[in-house]
Amino acid sequence: MLALRNVTKRFGPLTALDDVSLEIAPGEFFGLLGPNGAGKSTLMSLVAGLRAPEAGTLVLDGRPLKAGDAGARRILGLVPQTIALFPELTAEENLRIFGQLQGLRGAELKGRLDELFAAAQLEDRRRSLVKTFSGGMQRRLNLIAALLHRPKLLLCDEPTVGVDPQSRNAIFEYLQQLNRSGVTIVYSTHYMEEAERLCSRIGIIDHGKILAFGTLETLLTRLPFEDEITFPATSATAPLAAQLAAQGEITVVDSTHRFRPRTGYPLSAFFTLTESLGLPPRLFVSQRPTLEALFLHLTGRKLRDA
Amino acid sequence: MSQVLILLRKSLLSFGRNRAAVAITFLVPILLIFLFGHVFGFFGPGSAPPGVSIAVVNLSSEPAAQKLIAALQAEKAFAVITTYDLGKGATRPLTEADVRAGLHDNWYRYALILPADLLPDNGFGVRLKFLFNPRNEIESQMVNGLLQKTIFSSVPELLGQSLQKNARRFLGDDRFEHFNRTIADTVAANFGGDREEIYQRSIAGDLGFSQLRRPNAKTEPPAPVAPAGAGPPAQSPAPRPDHQPESVPAAAGSTDVLSQIVKIDTEQVAGKDVKNSNAARLVGGYAIMFLLFAVSGSATTLFEEKNSGVFQRLLSCPVRPGHILWARFLFGIILGLAQIAVLFCAGRLFFGLDIFHHLGGLFAVSLTAAAACSAFGMLIAAIAPNAAAASGIATFVVLSMSAVGGAWVPVSFMPGYIQHLSKVTIVYWSVEGFADVLWEGRTVIEVLPKVGILAGIAAGVMLVAVWRFNRGRLFD
Repeated sequence: MLALRNVTKRFGPLTALDDVSLEIAPGEFFGLLGPNGAGKSTLMSLVAGLRAPEAGTLVLDGRPLKAGDAGARRILGLVPQTIALFPELTAEENLRIFGQLQGLRGAELKGRLDELFAAAQLEDRRRSLVKTFSGGMQRRLNLIAALLHRPKLLLCDEPTVGVDPQSRNAIFEYLQQLNRSGVTIVYSTHYMEEAERLCSRIGIIDHGKILAFGTLETLLTRLPFEDEITFPATSATAPLAAQLAAQGEITVVDSTHRFRPRTGYPLSAFFTLTESLGLPPRLFVSQRPTLEALFLHLTGRKLRDA
Repeated sequence: MSQVLILLRKSLLSFGRNRAAVAITFLVPILLIFLFGHVFGFFGPGSAPPGVSIAVVNLSSEPAAQKLIAALQAEKAFAVITTYDLGKGATRPLTEADVRAGLHDNWYRYALILPADLLPDNGFGVRLKFLFNPRNEIESQMVNGLLQKTIFSSVPELLGQSLQKNARRFLGDDRFEHFNRTIADTVAANFGGDREEIYQRSIAGDLGFSQLRRPNAKTEPPAPVAPAGAGPPAQSPAPRPDHQPESVPAAAGSTDVLSQIVKIDTEQVAGKDVKNSNAARLVGGYAIMFLLFAVSGSATTLFEEKNSGVFQRLLSCPVRPGHILWARFLFGIILGLAQIAVLFCAGRLFFGLDIFHHLGGLFAVSLTAAAACSAFGMLIAAIAPNAAAASGIATFVVLSMSAVGGAWVPVSFMPGYIQHLSKVTIVYWSVEGFADVLWEGRTVIEVLPKVGILAGIAAGVMLVAVWRFNRGRLFD
């Protein structure tokens, strides 16, 4: 569906994208995970045809993609990071304008509006001014405004920023439904939970480079440990932490020790050690590693601190 | 208190870092004061207005006519035109037909005709003909007053010569000489003085009319002259700063006498049917000024749409930057036409402006003026880095253009170089276009040159704006 080959984009001295290569298959739900300023929005704008790269090529639906390519714009929809709507107009007036710009007219446009307002649960507010909408409602409207022309590829640039959990869930469910209906989705976010929940494949981006990409399971295999064990950082657990340092990676965050055992270190050895130190099993929580851990492993920084 | 100081510091820091706010607060007013100083001629003698053009047709053979022309030429407020340019350096004296055409074409707005019977054979006094096009009423009042002052102050001998001429014709040469000798003897016997000198002055026409002038008459214009022609009465001159109320009765008395003697036939050659001559300028000037503000404001919304991400969404549709710009340009034109229409309707309501008989010309000028203003708004958006800067630049340029272009005060009151500068402003051509239509009653065809200039400004400015947009970062 979409391929980027050795794409580089610069803004003056800043290299926003550095030799990026990616392939996204039709029907895929691809996540682009990275901190603010990593290059996610730049990548989105290149795919949306808003900018041209300095180097490299983009291929959309089998055709080379160039900035301003009108044909490409008919098959992709962009959900910008900001609420890109006219606040002084009603929801319906907004969608009519964007629908007409996409070439929809008459009954086709009306039918599409009815369908999308129902899907976004905004039917009863379609004649209200957008500026009177809550943040969540504006986000939903922002999303469906990109779907009027039934795009094959939907680009969502952090579409849930500042949204309440309820609206976020509604957006997630709608996006998953769209994906099931065959729409390819590229979803950029700096929330690892969103990427983990929604995306079949994930690309991790930082400083304009794709550091890793693949399914969640594939990505996590890049970690040198399979599990992560947390326990309180107290004087009682201090001797344990000291001994574990030789067996893997141990860090303290918010008065909690986080132990990531090296590959091959058996969990049975860990529990034998805790038992010998008289520490009760209830202190220890074992969990599967997250993308946060992978990002930390790849960049040396936490995703939220980056 | 410390919280207040902390917040105060925050406000000062924020203000200091907002370059647009600093510029609007300090730099723009300084620039405007400097510019307005030039507009109003505060920068010394070199910045005084070059003089209002006044055409003079001399049909009289009296030597006094040349003295009158010389007096007019000496008046700094006038630029006297006496010849018609035939090209290649050749000229001929102006005729009445020439000045009537010139008045209609707005080459000048005032003409004085010195007729063959400047000093009539069959009556006492001086006869003059004054043709005018009071397209600008303030200027007309000023010129009228100055003209009378020049005539009354500088050429009193005209009156004596007229009196002597009639006396000689009526009495015959012998009795005329006897009469003057008798007068000279009587004056010398009762008031003193040299008898022969009084006699010579008497027959030369120096009968002491100049004594009728009040002591400061050099700077005090006389009261208006009652017109002898069919035109409307001449307007009173504007009061002057050196006006001295205590001398008013004497001056009024003297000018009453003079106005009985000097007969000026006045004829308004244009705008006779216009109810309020200033209204066309007032409404036109202010309409354009506020239109410039409106379209500049509208153009700055481009920045808001960019910042809100609307541009991203639009440009991800089958929409090009050019579509956005041209739509905004057309919006500015429609906004402009609507605003001008509303303001002229208000002018009709308040001042009785006759807009309905000039719809064609009015529409042509309004359309091109709106296009030029809209293009100007686009240019502001194209050169400004953000909305705040655009607002600052627009405020400065709109106020400057309005002042220089004659929206507030007539251009003819400004120094010569400002008058030249005014011709590169949208305001000047718009105001002139509206005056052509509403004052002169010109048709669409007749205002085409000004419409063409406005259209040319619109096209040129828009071209530069599009060029700047292509090089700018508005659509990044």
